[in-house]
Amino acid sequence: MDSDLILVIVVATALAFDFTNGFHDTANVVATSISTGAARPQVAIGFAALLNFVGAFISISVAATVAKDVVDAEVITPTIVFAGLIGAIAWNLITWYFGLPSSSSHALIGGVVGSAVAAVGFDAVIAEGLVGKVLIPAVVAPILAFLVAGIAIGISYRVVGKQRPGIVSRGYRYGQIVSGGLLALAHGTNDAQKTMGVITLALIAGGKLSADADPPTWVIASAAVAIALGTYSGGWRIIKTTGTKIIKMDAAQGFSAQGAGAAVILASTHFGFPLSTTHVINGGIMGSGAAKRLSAVRWGVAGNIFVAWLLTLPAAAAIGALTYGFTRIFGTGALGPVLVTLMALSLIVAAFARRAREGAPVTAAGG
Amino acid sequence: MIATIVETKELWQTVAAAAVAGIGVTFLFSLGIWGSGQFLELSRSDRQVAATAAGIVGLLAFAAVAAAVIIGILVMTQK
Repeated sequence: MDSDLILVIVVATALAFDFTNGFHDTANVVATSISTGAARPQVAIGFAALLNFVGAFISISVAATVAKDVVDAEVITPTIVFAGLIGAIAWNLITWYFGLPSSSSHALIGGVVGSAVAAVGFDAVIAEGLVGKVLIPAVVAPILAFLVAGIAIGISYRVVGKQRPGIVSRGYRYGQIVSGGLLALAHGTNDAQKTMGVITLALIAGGKLSADADPPTWVIASAAVAIALGTYSGGWRIIKTTGTKIIKMDAAQGFSAQGAGAAVILASTHFGFPLSTTHVINGGIMGSGAAKRLSAVRWGVAGNIFVAWLLTLPAAAAIGALTYGFTRIFGTGALGPVLVTLMALSLIVAAFARRAREGAPVTAAGG
Repeated sequence: MIATIVETKELWQTVAAAAVAGIGVTFLFSLGIWGSGQFLELSRSDRQVAATAAGIVGLLAFAAVAAAVIIGILVMTQK
């Protein structure tokens, strides 16, 4: 009975995390299209939500990595997964509150690793998977997006340089409907799968699935719905967007940034690498800006992203570990997770209320 | 040690696929815009043959973009 209750709490928490992931990331996904005038905000947000939903169904490689290649599912319990999720949500909340851009994906993996280490020790961590499938791609992917976008925009300017500006801008704006759509699809497929992976891990840990099982259809569908609803809801609070925060861009830059981001995320997803979609998208935006003029990029914002990126894994891991320790004070039953859930909900409500009084923050955390 | 931990082959494939797709699609789309622009310009100056050639280049480039997107999504769904 207790273990079933914990599983229900884990699934609900994971879906809440997925919702907040979509909520945070709307800005990243639609900012470029809106800032270049390629799409009206309502259209861009609705389109992004729909394609995030569709994207969640096109692959399960990343879910398999999260469920099987980061921590040893044989020694994990649902409470460990729960503590990891709380670590991720808490770090997202902290970074959102202070306006720091960070990665929900890294927070999720950091939280789960931290709580697993606290519960079982370092033996619970699959070092090969963590380094080879998470940490190395985390470094490579944003740099790759930066380079691809930079080279792509350089080629674009050479090809269309002598054309009339009107037709060029109009052409790339139409193109951004496709590149923005692909980016939303890519975002949905990589980020929703992390939630699927965590829920699958909890179901394996709770004895509801075998160790080699793929995510059940209801897990895929619920993760898709949660990220799509989050994306749709998040759009209505965008005040400043990633696109205009980092660089003021034209439609060609927007197209190349979105194209590079989508290409990197989709290729990585195919091979099961759970990326920070936020960092990849920002890498693309910076690459397309830097190729035109290095000073066009607001390097201070880029620096904040880098610092938050360095902090996210260890900070979420520490919170995950502390949360696990706290739940164990109340034994191995459902009491600890129930109390932590209530406390987390209270903190979230308090943070939102305070933020509402002080004014809305700039978009912060992301996939 | 690192080489055994890092999935080198898959990582390189990711880098190659992302570079080819990201740069290739942007190049083809730009070529499509160039073709469209040239078609309009040349049509206005009554150079129909050159305009048609540029228009065909543009159309083929846009068709290649559409094909690349469809193939990319199909590849994604087949693993």
